[in-house]
Amino acid sequence: MLIVLMLLVLVGLTLINVPIAVALAAAAVSGMLYTQGSDSLVSVAIEMYRGSTSFSLIAIPMFVLAGAIMNAGGITRRLIDFVAALMGFMRGGLAMVTIGVSMLFAEISGSAVADVAAIGSILMPAMKKQGYPAPFTAAVNSSAASLAIIIPPSIPMILYAIAANTSVEQLFVAGFVPGLIGGLGLMLVARWLTKRYDLPAAEGFSLRRVRDTFIEALPTFLLPVIILGGIFSGLVTATEAAGLAVLAAIIVGLWYREFDIAHLRVAMLDGGMQTAVVMLLVAASILMGDLLTVSRLPQQLADSILNLTSNKWLILLILNVLFLVIGFFLHSSAAIILVIPIVMPLIQRVGIDPIHFGLVVTLNLAIGQQTPPVASVLITACAIAKADIWETTKVNVYFIGVLLGVLLLCTYVPAVPMFLVHYFYAKP
Amino acid sequence: MLSSFKRTLDVGLQWLLIALMIILTIVVMVAVAYRKLGASLVWYDEVASVLMAWITYYGAALAALRRQHIGFDGLLVKLPPRARLVAILIGEVAVLAFFALLAWTGLKVLAVVGDESLISLPWVSVTVTQSVIPISAVLFIICELLSFPEYARRVMAGESVGHGPDESHARPAAPGGSASDGRGA
Repeated sequence: MLIVLMLLVLVGLTLINVPIAVALAAAAVSGMLYTQGSDSLVSVAIEMYRGSTSFSLIAIPMFVLAGAIMNAGGITRRLIDFVAALMGFMRGGLAMVTIGVSMLFAEISGSAVADVAAIGSILMPAMKKQGYPAPFTAAVNSSAASLAIIIPPSIPMILYAIAANTSVEQLFVAGFVPGLIGGLGLMLVARWLTKRYDLPAAEGFSLRRVRDTFIEALPTFLLPVIILGGIFSGLVTATEAAGLAVLAAIIVGLWYREFDIAHLRVAMLDGGMQTAVVMLLVAASILMGDLLTVSRLPQQLADSILNLTSNKWLILLILNVLFLVIGFFLHSSAAIILVIPIVMPLIQRVGIDPIHFGLVVTLNLAIGQQTPPVASVLITACAIAKADIWETTKVNVYFIGVLLGVLLLCTYVPAVPMFLVHYFYAKP
Repeated sequence: MLSSFKRTLDVGLQWLLIALMIILTIVVMVAVAYRKLGASLVWYDEVASVLMAWITYYGAALAALRRQHIGFDGLLVKLPPRARLVAILIGEVAVLAFFALLAWTGLKVLAVVGDESLISLPWVSVTVTQSVIPISAVLFIICELLSFPEYARRVMAGESVGHGPDESHARPAAPGGSASDGRGA
């Protein structure tokens, strides 16, 4: 009965566009009233406050800021110049450059939407000028940007680590190889498509230009070295790496002497808003936490699925389908906060490594960012390229296919994401 | 009159949020530096946590003013007009009721914590740090009411009203982009 009541409130309010954080909190309040009466309501304020103080989530605003500062400090442009010198000579050069830059940018930024806004607003107009069709332009930028949440750092991974109570650092390490495979796969598909569209190379190859742009971009490479090196070596935590990334981005920006204060102000505001919206969801999920335990919903779900099958690969398949469907309709943060606490007991009982599962979830959400109607990254890309969402999706299907391939590979060959984790964090 | 109040509130919350973000950034960087030098700051965890709470709730009020909370509008805009209007009103009442509850219970908590103070910083009263809940809940209600007419008009016109804060990044990242309105022109 408790479960039915809470689900009714949650789903009912969500369907009429009540913010999901509020729908979740309202469902929790209705559950509290049902089980403990109105006297228990005073804990609403206490829990909502406690939920918003989750210490490890400080990495979220920090990584958002680091990416934003890179953009305001001329770092993004230098990265693009270097990759253009390196890869621009190929047929469909700018498409390759987009994917290459996205892979580099992903090692500093944890948000795919920030990626597509930063890189796309420079590269998409250039691509269209060279005769790239708008839907193809938007599709390449959109799917390449989703590498940002697969390659560390990654905001969805930070959220997952909180929801699943697991190590965010290990999750970051797990994302590295799948991100590289995804990037190379996207390049292969882009190359095949550019032949079909007969698209030009961006520029001739010049070793001298590669050298010059490399030297110019050299301070920029400090950022991934600090972030990835720090986390992989275990010298710093994810939160500390985020703080260092902000510091490094400021220093590199000052080095280039290109700080744009107006842009930085917008970036701070965007970072703050994004954090607030996600944190309100987290706080509401903390309010819901105790009730989930009382209602035994996660256990009951685990029981009923385990009655059907205890085959871990089949269960992973079911969960993949579930997350792919959810990805069509829900923002990635909301998907993690709503679903992970419910499926975790199942994951533990079947013996799936929570780090492996976290990576599988992240890959699903990366695909979810590409599948309309709710597809934050795709919609941003289309807005910048002025492309129609459905026309873009017709091209993007090929790129989504690559991401799906990576998802299947990582789901069924756990060694692909996990061997680096085992290497850096040898199991006792 | 109302729209100028809305703009003032928007600008005020913007600066508050930016100030909190700057303070948090500085606190995190200083704390990392201290830790790496072998001297951890005792107040870091507590202060950073309070800052996160303040960013969450004051930012949430601003997000309410701009209607940027994560939601799902796919069904709402497809309902027949009468049902849509009813659904909008039910949704608003639910949101307002929740934040009224939060403001009320937040005040009750303040009365209970009374003269307690932070563990690592005894001169900072918990009343101050926890005041964020009732204050921001009232602000949230004001912001929700102020943004309601525009929201209702857009939903009734069948426009999609977005699904989260991410789409505010949709404007080009070029310098000097308009920041005043996250939804863009």
